[in-house]
Amino acid sequence: MDYANPRLADALAAQYVAGTLRGRARARFETLLPSHPTLQGAVRDWQGRLMPLTGVLPEQAPPARVWRGIQQRLWPALAPLPWWQRLSLWRAVSGAALVAVLGLTVLVASPPPAQAPVVVVLQSTGGDPTVAGSIVASFSGDGRSLVARPLTPVSLQSDRVLELWWAPAQGKPKSLGLMKADGVTLLSRGQLPGGLRGSGIDHMAVSVEPPGGSPTGQPTGPVVFYGKL
Amino acid sequence: MKALNESDWPERSRELSQLLARAGLGDRAAFGRLYERTSGHLYAVVLRIQRDRAMAEDLLQEIYVSVWKAAASFDAARSQPLTWLTHIARNRAIDSLRRAQAQPRTESLSADEDDDRPDPHEALASEGPGPLDLLGQASDRRQLTQCMEHLSPPQRQSVALAFYDGLSHAEVAEQLREPLGTVKSWVRRALQTLKGCLERAAVRDDGKAA
Repeated sequence: MDYANPRLADALAAQYVAGTLRGRARARFETLLPSHPTLQGAVRDWQGRLMPLTGVLPEQAPPARVWRGIQQRLWPALAPLPWWQRLSLWRAVSGAALVAVLGLTVLVASPPPAQAPVVVVLQSTGGDPTVAGSIVASFSGDGRSLVARPLTPVSLQSDRVLELWWAPAQGKPKSLGLMKADGVTLLSRGQLPGGLRGSGIDHMAVSVEPPGGSPTGQPTGPVVFYGKL
Repeated sequence: MKALNESDWPERSRELSQLLARAGLGDRAAFGRLYERTSGHLYAVVLRIQRDRAMAEDLLQEIYVSVWKAAASFDAARSQPLTWLTHIARNRAIDSLRRAQAQPRTESLSADEDDDRPDPHEALASEGPGPLDLLGQASDRRQLTQCMEHLSPPQRQSVALAFYDGLSHAEVAEQLREPLGTVKSWVRRALQTLKGCLERAAVRDDGKAA
């Protein structure tokens, strides 16, 4: 069959998208699709025509186990338990509280910029199987200082250090400096991008680097913690 | 593919496009939000076609696993996100159908089995709105009602059964007790009419926008 013929392509695409093309004919069509731009165009057009007709279907909320199943299929190491039973959650909550207290102490001691601090929890990525736990980072309300602390000490080889990064949604990460693997790190004005709002920060990460930090200005070791703002 | 005057389909597009783009870069939180925003719709689409709830739940999981894997290939310039997602969902649901599973759904069609010409509305009674009602509502929303009235009721009904409930030509023929060839040409005719209606509606909208 001549699939470049627009009329034939249109008729087949209509039946494919409507769902009435079945069995072997459907499988054959799907095999052909990637190499036939005329068919692809016709399919896109029919999708645009027919799919919005499903907009009248009343939504049906799927049971919560569906989302848990999806997480388990995609990230088996991450979703072994329902979220409220996970130890890391409670560690993060208590850690966040601690850091918030630290942040508040700084705030109370130095009024007036009374914006609330921003707390970010960085979870272990599994990028290095020996590194686990979470890191809590708290920006002061004006975004000019940052307190970061691992919830449990991170064990590293003696010739490796942790480096903290921030990054926009798209683009290269920038270094915020080295951070202690076993205690509180305070980064202040000058080491930070300045005001938090409008800085474009989307997420933060921690990588394992040689002493003194990444030689290239970009993460060179595995990214071991990651958290969204 | 002009944006149609269709409820919130295009309005939700921008947000969903962004979530998809971020999911394509590996952002799990964005993927979670995408799931929150779209799973109710996709589950409804799947359940119409695959009425076995356990199977529909499994399908929904497979669908979102594919969405996560294919998110990077989504091209916002060429498709609307809900259109793209709905197509993936329908495709999976249709592929999941086996004749044996499709069969029992046609049991409760007519209260009176001796009636040679079952009333189409009664024949479509099922939980939730019947496919013909859905097509009617969709036409109302898109101001296609008049245009769709050019189709005979069985023509409309054939395409509604095939599209919303995922019935094959043969199943539609069985349900309507009509010859297979007749049903095939009804569906073809209905799809072509729909296409003509939408193209004219798009021209009308262009005229209004100008």
